[in-house]
Amino acid sequence: MPSARLPRIVLWLFCGLVIVFLVAPILVIVIASFNGTPFLQFPPASWSLRWYVRFFASERWYEAALLSLRVAVVVTIASTALGTLAAIGLVRGRTRFRAALELFLVSPMVVPVIVMAVGLYFLLAPLRLTGSAAALVLGHTIVATPIVIVIVAAALRLSDGSLELAARSLGATWWRTVRYVTVPQVAPAIGAAAAFAFLTSFDEVVLAVFLGGPDATTLPKRMWESMRFEIDPTLTAISTLLTVVATVILAAAQLARRAEERS
Amino acid sequence: MRYWRSREALLVLPALAVYALLYLYPLSRLGVWSVFDPEPTLKNYRQLIADPVYAKALLNTLEVSFWVTVCALGLGYPLAYLMTTVSARARVWLMALIMVPFWTSILVRSFAWVVILGTNGIVNKTLIVLGLIEAPVRLLYNLIGVEIGMVHVLLPFMIFPLYGVMTQIDPALLRAGRSLGAPPWRAFVHIFLPLSLPGVAAGCVLVFLMAVGFYITPALLGGPQQITLATLIEMQVSDMLNWGFGATLSVLLVGAVATLFVIFTAALGLDRLTGTGKA
Repeated sequence: MPSARLPRIVLWLFCGLVIVFLVAPILVIVIASFNGTPFLQFPPASWSLRWYVRFFASERWYEAALLSLRVAVVVTIASTALGTLAAIGLVRGRTRFRAALELFLVSPMVVPVIVMAVGLYFLLAPLRLTGSAAALVLGHTIVATPIVIVIVAAALRLSDGSLELAARSLGATWWRTVRYVTVPQVAPAIGAAAAFAFLTSFDEVVLAVFLGGPDATTLPKRMWESMRFEIDPTLTAISTLLTVVATVILAAAQLARRAEERS
Repeated sequence: MRYWRSREALLVLPALAVYALLYLYPLSRLGVWSVFDPEPTLKNYRQLIADPVYAKALLNTLEVSFWVTVCALGLGYPLAYLMTTVSARARVWLMALIMVPFWTSILVRSFAWVVILGTNGIVNKTLIVLGLIEAPVRLLYNLIGVEIGMVHVLLPFMIFPLYGVMTQIDPALLRAGRSLGAPPWRAFVHIFLPLSLPGVAAGCVLVFLMAVGFYITPALLGGPQQITLATLIEMQVSDMLNWGFGATLSVLLVGAVATLFVIFTAALGLDRLTGTGKA
């Protein structure tokens, strides 16, 4: 029945093209990063690792990467703690304002980051905090916490609340119950949430540009500045490394989720 | 014992305190800044109305966002549909091929489009080799470039809610339609499509909201004609150091997004928007 098969083939072809559209930019950057010519070329005429060498040899890029890493680690800890507690409060707690609270706590996800950047600048400039790693940590925490809340709250809604009820009826205090029953139950989701919080901070550009100033330059901020003036082929190597970092973190989060499904 | 869970609600307090200081307070201060200079004044809002540049930027923003939403729906719907009909193994692969670009830095992806769409980029080279065009076509620093870059970033935000709703549709309904004599296309149009509409609505509003506030992609891939509210805010603040007016534009942008957000959550429920539903 070729006539019945035809729509199916067309659907696969169309979706194949959509997938190519999604994946092509990443493939192009990865291939271009091994380019051997002194300027950006695709497809490359010769191959080398010169752009990776240049990235690791340059103190400018290296220091930016180090700052990004430091900021992202602090943001991961802060937003995972805040977000996990808030998610437990939202899902397990009883309050009349739950729907409104949840709406408020996830709303930073849709507020344009540029607006938050301007607002935080007004807040932090008088305190002389702009241009510091602290400013970046504060800004990124507000962007990362809602992601943690969404992921952990979803896991809590699927988990079994009666275990906590049992713990309470056996005499555990509410805090001990949270600490030893609720949190371990959703530990894989918390791990996944932490991974996404890390990535969110590590890749964030707009807040970094506005709040970083000349003294606190993260890797994305340095890339952004470089992109706006000239196309430096070193960017392809850095982009490839960032993609590798993202893929590894994504895979780790996925494994954590799978562990959750098994438990 | 009746309220044994009520204390857990206190756990939102640390997050609330941080949000109040770093989110609510700065955003409200923007509203205050927009009407003081340093005396109370409406001059920022008068400027907003008087100069047609700002109305044009708002229209630009809405136009770009509209077309991005339409394209994302056109590309995302078939893919989400396909994902509900393939084997579990194929679905895992499709999901991975969507997730890896999704979590790749927006900066990296926008930069990739600069490389691909440039005058010496692979798209132009291919089209010339194929003889479809004689000279390179301008695909960057115009509306096409911005659209391509933004659709690429926002497409997963369309696919996830669509897929979420489509997996809830009972396949038995389609089989029932087929057994009653409906050809496959009729079963799809009259049964599947209407049932998937909540996903369409959720995906479209999510993509539209995010597109309205987008900064990086329009700034990197757009030209002078693609000034959006977000790029305008950056210009006012960074280049012209006009913070008061930047604050006013921010209020306009947040107002637009918040209005849409509230209407949507009231109409369809927050669960669908954030994917926090019980699924």
